[in-house]
Amino acid sequence: MGYALLAPSLFGVVTFLLLPMLVVGWLSVHRWDLLGPVEYVGLDNWRSVLTDPSFATSLLVTALFIVIVVPTQSLLGLAAAAMLARSLPGSGFFRTLYVLPWICSPLAIAVLWRWILAPTDGAVSRLLGERIEWLTDPDLALPVVSAVTIWTNVGYVTLFFLAGILAIPTDIQDAARTDGANAWQRFRRITLPMLRPTLFFVLVTGVISAAQVFDTVYALTAGGPQGRTDLIAHRIYAEAFGAAAVGRAAVMAAVLFVLLVGVTIAQHSYFRRRITYDVV
Amino acid sequence: MTSFSRAVSAPVIYTVLAAGALITLAPFAIGLMTSFTTADQFNTGEPLSFPAPPTLQNYTGLADAGFGRALVVTALMTAVILVGQLTFSVLAAYAFARLEFPGRDALFWVYLATLMVPATVTVVPLYLLMAQAGLRNTFWALVLPFVFGSPYAIFLLREYFRGIPADLIKAARIDGANTLDVIVHVVVPASKPILVTLSLITVVSQWNSFMWPLVITSGGRWQVLTVATAGLQSRYNAQWTLVMAATTVAIVPLIVLFVAFGRYIVRSIVVTGLK
Repeated sequence: MGYALLAPSLFGVVTFLLLPMLVVGWLSVHRWDLLGPVEYVGLDNWRSVLTDPSFATSLLVTALFIVIVVPTQSLLGLAAAAMLARSLPGSGFFRTLYVLPWICSPLAIAVLWRWILAPTDGAVSRLLGERIEWLTDPDLALPVVSAVTIWTNVGYVTLFFLAGILAIPTDIQDAARTDGANAWQRFRRITLPMLRPTLFFVLVTGVISAAQVFDTVYALTAGGPQGRTDLIAHRIYAEAFGAAAVGRAAVMAAVLFVLLVGVTIAQHSYFRRRITYDVV
Repeated sequence: MTSFSRAVSAPVIYTVLAAGALITLAPFAIGLMTSFTTADQFNTGEPLSFPAPPTLQNYTGLADAGFGRALVVTALMTAVILVGQLTFSVLAAYAFARLEFPGRDALFWVYLATLMVPATVTVVPLYLLMAQAGLRNTFWALVLPFVFGSPYAIFLLREYFRGIPADLIKAARIDGANTLDVIVHVVVPASKPILVTLSLITVVSQWNSFMWPLVITSGGRWQVLTVATAGLQSRYNAQWTLVMAATTVAIVPLIVLFVAFGRYIVRSIVVTGLK
């Protein structure tokens, strides 16, 4: 009976999650142009991708994007959660409202922002009466794409910090206050350490999702200008479905997979080592 | 933290929270406003003025661009995946939570391990599999990868099912119920909160999905709303009033869902942590 109940989901897991992981490896040593026959090419794809400057650029841009987005959204989320945790009247309303951008289609959000930031007839340019090339200036494009991503994610991150803060027993805070600890000391010595699991969750999921952002880049910049916003997920897409170099895209996907698993393991061991002292 | 923020006065907090609300809402508000503005007023009138008079011409324009069909395809895709995911996830979770059979724990670990597989990595190989199966640009291709249940949903349901009192299930068994009866008449009714949670998360993520539909469909036949919106944007780059109507159509159903189920959605996000 157990097997019968499992059968459909097992079929799904094997066919659409495990098999694709094998196929990625297999495709990475083949050449395929989406239509014609698949041809074995040995390590050619690996050689060409790993020496390709545009792939290096993409990895660098993705790393920069993560470095901008994840800390910023975490700090803003923590600050918002700190204010909401006072449970002033209306806090629930704000908490819910802030999540709105996150549940909307990232593609539609990106199209919306593309208009807001359009140089000639966009909302910002018209209000300022000045033409600013938000999305085509090589120095502005990545910060702008990052800002849109942060705008989308802050409410989501806030939810987790808020849940974490509200789970801290109030008597610890009260005891510290009785002992004369000021607000900053209590935050630094009690709240932050006790938020460690939340922080871990927010950072790991933040990195993993930022490393896969696609819709936002697709609609805002298509990876431009000069590859300055060519995040890895967009590079994989462009390689496979733009340049029809599916084998090369498979190499990139394999690299991304290894990096993501590496990030998860590294962050795990770092957090284990770093802050495991007792709170009280 | 409660005590940390006590150092800051309530008016300051409200000011900051209100500023945050404005930054959150303003883009939606001006996008919505623009979608009801005539192209003429948009091009020649005052920037960001109220539509005078409000017009539906952008929305009728969308109908001509095939958005009606995209809306139906998106709704159908979301519905089929929702039903499949819930059904098959419940069955699998029950097997993992309540039945004994050889290899159960090993299989469960395999399911857990697949949580590490990023969607971005599987798009390219899935495309090859669909192409080999001759399923490119079909409704099947849209739903098949997601309809057989999700390991994460199974994981959450299993936790929940383990918390259902064994006596409830035993009592039903004594009354002669078989496994399916138990699932349908005991387990599912006892698990409404987690099922609502999973439903909301599934609807949100499927309604918004973009990369997979973008690569596996072509042309208007099986185009979903996100793909139609992206296509419209690149084709009519200068017709922003039309494009804003498209983003509104893509976003509004979720906003309605959000207004109706806001609290549940917030709780669901905290429970599941995943999109």
